[in-house]
Amino acid sequence: MTSIATHAPLLSAVRRKRRTLRARLARRAWPYLLLAPSLLLLAAFTYLPIVRVVWDSLHDKVHGTTATLFVGLRNYSDLFADKAFVQSVVNNLVYAVGTVPLSMALALLFALALQRSGRINAVMRALLLFPSMVPLVAAASLFFFIFLPGVGLFDHYLGKLGIRGANWLGDPDVALWSLIGITVWKNAGYYMLFYLAGLQTLSSDVLEAATIDGANGWQRLRHVIVPLLAPTTAFVLVIALINVLTQVDHVIVLTKGGPSNSTKLVLYYIFEQAHENFAAGRAAAASVVSVSFLLAVSLFSLKTMERGAHAAS
Amino acid sequence: MRWISSLAAAAVALTASSAIAQTKIDFFFPVPVDGKLAKEMTRLTKLYNDSQKDVAVTGVYTGSYDETKLKAQAATAAGKPPAVVLMSANFVLDLKISGDIVSLEPQLKADGTTRTKFLDDFWPAVHANAIVDGELYAVPYQNSTPLLYYNKEHFKEAGLDPEKPPQTWAELVDAAKKLTKADRYGIALPEGYDYMGWIMEALSMSNGGRYFNEEYGGEVYYDTPSMLGAAQFVEDLVFKHKVMQQGVVEGGAVSSNFLAGKASMMLLSTGSLSFVRDSMKMPYGVAFVPRNVRNAVPIGGGSLVMFKGLSEEQKAAGWKFAKWLSSTENLGAWSRFTGYFSPRKSAYDTAEMKDFMAKNPDAKVALDQLPYAKPWFATYQTVAVRKALEDEMQAVLNGKKKAPQAVKDAQQAADALMKPYVEQTALKLP
Repeated sequence: MTSIATHAPLLSAVRRKRRTLRARLARRAWPYLLLAPSLLLLAAFTYLPIVRVVWDSLHDKVHGTTATLFVGLRNYSDLFADKAFVQSVVNNLVYAVGTVPLSMALALLFALALQRSGRINAVMRALLLFPSMVPLVAAASLFFFIFLPGVGLFDHYLGKLGIRGANWLGDPDVALWSLIGITVWKNAGYYMLFYLAGLQTLSSDVLEAATIDGANGWQRLRHVIVPLLAPTTAFVLVIALINVLTQVDHVIVLTKGGPSNSTKLVLYYIFEQAHENFAAGRAAAASVVSVSFLLAVSLFSLKTMERGAHAAS
Repeated sequence: MRWISSLAAAAVALTASSAIAQTKIDFFFPVPVDGKLAKEMTRLTKLYNDSQKDVAVTGVYTGSYDETKLKAQAATAAGKPPAVVLMSANFVLDLKISGDIVSLEPQLKADGTTRTKFLDDFWPAVHANAIVDGELYAVPYQNSTPLLYYNKEHFKEAGLDPEKPPQTWAELVDAAKKLTKADRYGIALPEGYDYMGWIMEALSMSNGGRYFNEEYGGEVYYDTPSMLGAAQFVEDLVFKHKVMQQGVVEGGAVSSNFLAGKASMMLLSTGSLSFVRDSMKMPYGVAFVPRNVRNAVPIGGGSLVMFKGLSEEQKAAGWKFAKWLSSTENLGAWSRFTGYFSPRKSAYDTAEMKDFMAKNPDAKVALDQLPYAKPWFATYQTVAVRKALEDEMQAVLNGKKKAPQAVKDAQQAADALMKPYVEQTALKLP
């Protein structure tokens, strides 16, 4: 009896341990199993291409030769020595400064003006959202006719006011600003959607409290609404910055980076190097640089967003 | 064991059937501008497939010339090269240098003919863009030249003879001055990328120049008197004579301005002839590109090329199809349908073509200019080398640079771009 008595709990303990081990293993493996399909897809279509681009950026094949050589970081040093690349970075910065704050401010303004539901507001929202539903290629093709020097819609109406319009896409001092105008027109309505959603989540208690405390409209906006919308703002900022680096359709349709490189954005530079100049290595290096930049911006903004969310709650 | 024998039987049947099966090949074609051309091309492909049993061609519409180049390169990298591709004629050299396309000499030999005999019926101007390093790499298919379009009504208004368009640069400036008004420019040139280079080639050639070395891909002649004169002429049209809009005007904007009567003359491709014929409401005329030293214009357009990685059967099949597409009869029909000129001289001897020319005298002017046509610029890094000049000319058009400095800087940039090639070729010495 004693032997049984002493053995029985031991055996069951082992069994129990084994069972918990298996259960723990199963619990650990289960999520990976569930993740497997998307992980596989991500690996095939995101991670492997990234690795490939990094690999390509360290190699070079001179146009006209057959051998692909390992060149270390030479593609990167050549890239930063290339005046056209430096100019495309500068253009992209101007483009970011010109489009992001303005379209976000307009988006917030639209959202504040149209946050109450009503028939007129619904129509206005749809109207403001409309530009973001037009594909960028189509929008750019439309603006080709609006910006036509002399006969375009823009110059037609300016002519009625007695003003001779600029050469909107043909003057290097103006062309980038024309593209900035299209981008703001196109994106402000889209960002408005996020702000509308953000405004819905604000608790009315806080606003009522502020009103009772005697805060006027501006003070409520400045000290209550805008800080509470910080997570939305951080999110919209990330989207807007990604758009700045990933949207290039209007450049291709309207200017092809000209005149004299004045509208060449980084993505167009990459396209040109890879497909016009037979310089895949340098294009890969430029891709790595711009993607790393995007990654850094996203990580930074997401961190701030979390902090903002904590502060808000 | 029965399944083995049936498998063997199936295998035998399969090989037997593939031996008599058609050779399947892909044909990539771009259509610059117009959707109805894509339909016509699809119709032609079907016509060919129905006409014989050896080759089955799958026609693939691949967007613009640039996209077609990308897609053909991608398909080749993926191991499924297109047998025949309609490619911008000035990409041929770069594609040969990068090893993407194959020489057509073996096909010529198999046919028992030679390059000289094969090209004999093609206009001399289209030869250079089809030959690289003494071998045939492309079959010319659709071609164009620049042309002067002018508004006859404006000519009458300004006291100019609408039947006597300007023939020289001096006459051009004189006419443009008389035609320019507060809301109208005397002349417009297409100055966006691609078109600008072509127009500069036309002007420098009309000024006695050559633009590039048509026999060797490592030389362009930007910093030369002929190009400087052309660049200065363009600068003067804007800033001295004030007969042309300041800043860059794209090709599409040029034709819109001309159709709307906001520009009285324009230099544009013969490829736009049918578009202008259909859309222009006022009477218009066409004429040769005016000369300063001599009459000369570059060709433009597309040629048929074959990509690397094809099997021998596919090559033979692709060559057969390319020959069919570029036959006298088909080139003539394509020319009448599209407005391009036919690279084959014999196409103009057919009854249909003579009839067409009688009905469209403006197409006759384009044809008459052909004997003065010269090759299209093509160098190592054609696009980048072209942009080196275009960027500078765009600066000139905006008053940011003077012509003498612009051609110097363009030459320097172009030489830097071609340096790797020059070092491997002309400067690689024993």
